[in-house]
Amino acid sequence: MKRKESTGTIVVNKKPLRKRLYNYRWLYLMFLPVFIFEIVFHYAPMFGVGYAFTDYKIVNDATFVGFKNFIRMFKMANFWQAFWNTLQISILKLLLTTLAAVLVSLLLNELRSLRFKKLTQTIIYLPHFLSWVVVASIFAMLLAPTQEGLLNSLLTSLGIVERGSEIYFLGRQDLWRPVFYLINIWKETGWQTIIFLATLSSIDPGLYEAASIDGANRFQRVWNITVPALMNTIVIVIILNLAKVMNLFEPVYVLQNDAVIKQSEVIQTYIFNQTFNSGGIPNYGYTTAVGLFNSLISCFLVLVCNALSKKVRGRGIV
Amino acid sequence: MKPEKITLMVDGTFYTEPNAQKEWAERFKELTGIELEIIQPDHATYYDSVSQTIAANEIPDVILLNSTYYSSYASEGVLWDMTDAWNNSDIKKNMSESDIAVEESLMLNGRLYGLTRGRGNGAITYIKKQWLDNVGLDVPTTYEEYLAVCEAFTKGDPDGNGVDGDTYAVSAAGLIGPEAPWVNYLPEFYQDAYPSFYLDDNGNWVDGFTEPAMKEALERLRDAYAAGYIDPETLTNDTKAVRNKFYENKTGIFTYWAGKWADNLRANLIVNERDPELVACPPIAEVGTYIDRSTGGYCITNACKNPEGVFKYFFEGMFDGGDLQTLWLFGVEGIHWSQEAEEVNGVTYEAGQIHGLDSRENPGTSYSFDCLALDVGISDEYKATHNLASPDVAIASQELFNAHSRQEDRIVSTDEMSEFNGDLMTLKKSIIANVVTQGADIEAEFARFESEGGADWSKQIVDSLNALK
Repeated sequence: MKRKESTGTIVVNKKPLRKRLYNYRWLYLMFLPVFIFEIVFHYAPMFGVGYAFTDYKIVNDATFVGFKNFIRMFKMANFWQAFWNTLQISILKLLLTTLAAVLVSLLLNELRSLRFKKLTQTIIYLPHFLSWVVVASIFAMLLAPTQEGLLNSLLTSLGIVERGSEIYFLGRQDLWRPVFYLINIWKETGWQTIIFLATLSSIDPGLYEAASIDGANRFQRVWNITVPALMNTIVIVIILNLAKVMNLFEPVYVLQNDAVIKQSEVIQTYIFNQTFNSGGIPNYGYTTAVGLFNSLISCFLVLVCNALSKKVRGRGIV
Repeated sequence: MKPEKITLMVDGTFYTEPNAQKEWAERFKELTGIELEIIQPDHATYYDSVSQTIAANEIPDVILLNSTYYSSYASEGVLWDMTDAWNNSDIKKNMSESDIAVEESLMLNGRLYGLTRGRGNGAITYIKKQWLDNVGLDVPTTYEEYLAVCEAFTKGDPDGNGVDGDTYAVSAAGLIGPEAPWVNYLPEFYQDAYPSFYLDDNGNWVDGFTEPAMKEALERLRDAYAAGYIDPETLTNDTKAVRNKFYENKTGIFTYWAGKWADNLRANLIVNERDPELVACPPIAEVGTYIDRSTGGYCITNACKNPEGVFKYFFEGMFDGGDLQTLWLFGVEGIHWSQEAEEVNGVTYEAGQIHGLDSRENPGTSYSFDCLALDVGISDEYKATHNLASPDVAIASQELFNAHSRQEDRIVSTDEMSEFNGDLMTLKKSIIANVVTQGADIEAEFARFESEGGADWSKQIVDSLNALK
């Protein structure tokens, strides 16, 4: 590499491309399998979005129909219901689980016994590793609208609910979403506390000592030191997760039922029902169109998040 | 011309690799001289695999399809028209009239694209005999009597544990089934209502959901649900949960598959230390007949280069009355079945009784076979010389079902069906659930059916079906 100085400007000449490739050949070789994987499984399938502009029923060749599938999609009330449900449920779920994770992190951070702290943290993040199918089965049993359901049994014994009038938590239209959010909080809070606790552990203990000397009580120390230190991380977590709000499927699919379709149907379950409940060979062109729209919204959200991230952190997420 | 090799695509109902699929194929080759390449994707995602296989143009010679996909792929030209081969075949010549009717129920607009080895079967209502005795009631024959049984099972002490009101009369896996024939788990409440498409007395397709009978059915369901006769978790149950509640004496009435399930239910009640005696009930007067679901079958695809040869050597063999038919019915002798005098998993068999052997995949359980009453193309001569050790309860329930059932109408897939039926079924299920579990007003819900497009989608599908006639 040569440096030339002229009128105070430093010019750096790069080595020829071939030489640079050769110098880093082993790194490129290590990268090659990942690169092939990305091309084959993430980029090549993108050509399939072309089916969104066709009528395609697998057995025959696709017939180009232009924007017909999109026009149909935008006219369907069920699609818009699913779209708005996706945004509402995902965003509220994100905010609630983040808030819960922050509160739990703050509480965990105040624990004096390190052993107990680690034990508690391990227990609360274990649900993250359970599959949603298992979680749905567990909560179906716990929330059963009979005396076999633990919660109804408890409410009956406390006299809050009469025997014979048990509450169908997962079957009531006014209760399904609150229950859904609570189940998500139970499952995901522990995992999210890992990020917040990592931030909390990096706070200078000297700040707390100084605050104690100045007469601050525990609450004042948390409010004036801990919370401000966490704000940056909270914002980043929300921004990063905002890009994924359109990808909601599994938790809704395993917990929804016919009585709460209006409250629970999201874009991904809408696509699923269109594909597998049509009573025949579905039009994959239409379902691809819905999926493509979903992806475009996700892309838009990623760009918004990137802009927000630049503003907050000074650098983007992409 | 005899094919040298046949590629066969099957789901998990066929012998799997751990269950001696290889030996089955070897025996097939021994009997026919034809090599059989069996493609068996995971059962849970079989139809995903079928779609991908067809999309990739790697279509096998023979494929096993259920009713829905059979109709869909036939109408899309994937399947070979075997009508002429069938009409000129030995299979048809040697089959009984009733079995011919079962096979020809697979016809679409008069053309045949597949053959089935058995009836579609359906669900029959089982009631615990001990529960009936404990409440002093007989097997119901009308809806009024059925409701009386429901009330006694719900409010009384039918299980004899000294506690009133801790049981339900009936539970089901959903207020409406996950697929056709939709109403088979709660027939006494649906009666003559049907929430999907069927042929009326004039031979025209109609949507049963728009018929007056549907509103009456919803009223019956709503009233029974509100009275506590129907398990409140019916909305979210799966079939395993319903079976477990039946075994655990939470419910006394169970509408479930006829045939070998009668014995399975009995055996599981014994395991759960409950009285195992069940009454398989004829349909109540208002139901008339149970529904025998449309069956799919084995189909030759248009990718097959020698369909006539495959029909002759593959399909005719299924019903040949000899070793090939035995292979299809019971599997490989010495692996899947035997007729030696022996004890297998605690059951003693006499010499000459065909019985299942210990399962390779699940040791401790035996291979089991459908009752011969469910299969088609089995001659009286074959039945006389092949004594299948079927439990009496299984045979009885199967024969009762066969005598009191009607064939479900076979629906052909149309473009309108593909376009609208997904949204239509979602709306119908939502309305049923709202009326029954949320107590919604029936007229208001049917107004919603109109306003949200259901009536329009339904009409378009009906018109498209009638246009095909």
